[in-house]
Amino acid sequence: MPTLRQTGLAAMAAAAIALTGCAPQAPAATADLTAEPQYSGTLSILTKFGGEPLESYFNDLAVEYQKLHPDVEFELIQETDQSIKDKTKTLTASQALPDIYFTWAGNWAENFVKAGLAADLTEVIEPGTEWGDTFGEASLDAFKYGDKYYAVPLYNNGKFMGYNERIFDEAGVQPPTTFDELIDACGAIRQAGYEPIAFGNKDGWPALHYLQQLFAYNVPAETLQDDFYPETATWDHEGYLTSLEQFATLVEECTDTGADSNGVLYTTAQQALAEGRAAMYYQEILEFDSSAGEGTTVAGDGFGIFPLPAPAGGEGDAGAIEGSPEGYIINAGSERAALAVDFMKFATSVENAATLSAPPYGQPSAVIGSVSDQNSSPAVVEGIELVNDASSTVIWLDSVTVPDVADAWLAGGEALISGDSTPEEILASVQAASEGAK
Amino acid sequence: MTVNELTRGPALTAPVSGAAIEPPKKRRTGSSPLAAARGLIWVLPAVALLAVFVYLPLAQNFGFSVIEWDIYTGTQTFIGLENYQKIIEDPVFWSALVNNVWYSIISVVFQVCGALVLAALIESLRSDRWRKAFRVIYFIPSAISLTVAGLLFYFIYEPRLGLLNAALDGLGVGELGQAWLGQENTAIFAIIAMSQWQGFGYCTLLFAVALQRIPSELYEAAAIDGVGPVRRFFSVSIPLVREMTGLMMIVTVSGAFQVFNEVMVMTTGGPNNSSQVLGTWLYRSGFVRNDFGYAAAIATAIFVVTLALALAQLWISRKRRVEW
Repeated sequence: MPTLRQTGLAAMAAAAIALTGCAPQAPAATADLTAEPQYSGTLSILTKFGGEPLESYFNDLAVEYQKLHPDVEFELIQETDQSIKDKTKTLTASQALPDIYFTWAGNWAENFVKAGLAADLTEVIEPGTEWGDTFGEASLDAFKYGDKYYAVPLYNNGKFMGYNERIFDEAGVQPPTTFDELIDACGAIRQAGYEPIAFGNKDGWPALHYLQQLFAYNVPAETLQDDFYPETATWDHEGYLTSLEQFATLVEECTDTGADSNGVLYTTAQQALAEGRAAMYYQEILEFDSSAGEGTTVAGDGFGIFPLPAPAGGEGDAGAIEGSPEGYIINAGSERAALAVDFMKFATSVENAATLSAPPYGQPSAVIGSVSDQNSSPAVVEGIELVNDASSTVIWLDSVTVPDVADAWLAGGEALISGDSTPEEILASVQAASEGAK
Repeated sequence: MTVNELTRGPALTAPVSGAAIEPPKKRRTGSSPLAAARGLIWVLPAVALLAVFVYLPLAQNFGFSVIEWDIYTGTQTFIGLENYQKIIEDPVFWSALVNNVWYSIISVVFQVCGALVLAALIESLRSDRWRKAFRVIYFIPSAISLTVAGLLFYFIYEPRLGLLNAALDGLGVGELGQAWLGQENTAIFAIIAMSQWQGFGYCTLLFAVALQRIPSELYEAAAIDGVGPVRRFFSVSIPLVREMTGLMMIVTVSGAFQVFNEVMVMTTGGPNNSSQVLGTWLYRSGFVRNDFGYAAAIATAIFVVTLALALAQLWISRKRRVEW
């Protein structure tokens, strides 16, 4: 006979289900990607190209595609880097994902794959297929789960230290090749009257970018991969503590903002490099054309890049570069999946890929041969070559880990900078978050 | 002489002496069941709208708070009161609650007490032109959206380029300069300060309107009795704007527990979650950590806190209504 408590819980459960009124998402219809596209209807696309100068890219693509297929209409939902996270989750929760939607690599894309919300593109995009062979294999692999491919990589990215060549000459320093050389160079640059590294961590993720690159240098790749997944994570390799200490040293020795960096926007730091007030700024390839574009002081002084130098004695991969492509998923439940594939083939044609890689967009396309001296700035070309030549790439810490762990790292990075937590305390909070996420 | 004129007599002197005033008793008019039913029909649309747009979402929110919801697969698992248990064990929830309490205390001090004093000062000015000018000057910040004000203050607080640190430097106390939004011990107070600047003028304006409604004869009578301006403020103004004060307390305290925009714009709850308030922690739990059930439990907690505070304030101020 059920007890009063059991009856109460059962009633509560029934009420909860009735009140929330939500049913599990219907199993996704298997999208037929190889079918002949029907060139009619409205294709909805969620992009991460909101705001200038990127917004016009998809607008122009839609106009050009409509010239070829006048009966196709577009519903473009263009969001920014920050707002797309909320928009995507709201659309997912309300079961209203568009036909094509933006994704990061790592845990972000994996959530859609596991839930059956991403169309299996293997048949049309795996290496060896006509379309697949137009992409670098590493770019495709970033969205490979199991042995299947789930997203179209649109552009590549990587993180590099951008520097002002004139300031380096004035300070008498060369691009450093080890972490210790970098710290030494900071002293010389400061003596020459410049801020060595401009840094702003108001958004939290700039610190994570430094940390993830240092983790790749200090922690064996296999351990790092295991730690990204709560099921296998321990986060107890001493390389993490070493990395946290190295990052704290860098903030203290190389930035003028130091413990105040949490109050500075990354765009303020970017501006400091652009205006020739700072010698270095750690940035993504996607930022090169903004921070060192035409008309900036650093462009006139000479803009160079180098990977964050690896510390001596690290147990990880000294040739690793942090970065990953960003891509677009085709909704597994889309009624226009074949049309969506056709549009993405159009978007990644050599001509459109070259446009994407050129200023003002400066997004190095994942299509082979689309980034060249003819259409892209020298730094973008060099950055992409360095990514392609890297012994391995590591995905951003806040998108490769589950949200609870990413959030713990985010808070930990801020606490390390402000001096309110020790590396040991931060690692303990990450371990607790990872344990809770199991 | 009308009944109203008769009641005006004692009210003219009673507030000065602090005595309670009994409102005139109204004769209860009888109503038939038909009239009552007719009255119900008139309120029915409003009740229906309230039910659909207020009470149903409240109930639905509670429903969400007892389930674990995977937004990707849409699967829902009933977990009972686990999310409420999680609230008890969550240190960020409690620090967010403390931040909200700070927010409400400081808001009451500035936006209720301070605004009332300022409104009295403005209304005591002899020049009508200056009175109007000051009302406009103090109200202008309230016409700026919170998001814009947040961005504006972000730049004022910027550690190296900001106006505040530059001003401190100019005054010779540069060592007091901080990364106001970048330090755990200053971030929430910097946000609260901006919020006071933004909301202060609006409250002042409302109090000014309430003060204008007080008949000038009361002040004249007090002045004839030899009462000075400070005593007039405490013995005439404060008792006669008690209703407005009560309302402002409810609005200010409830608002302090629902604060969201300014924190999102200025710090998004950082650094290290030190400036989280309940609203932003709810958002972060749902939209960043994908824990929508827990976010719903936080929403229920916010509702309970604000409802309790509003009921308490209504209860405290229920017998203090003053009429004249």
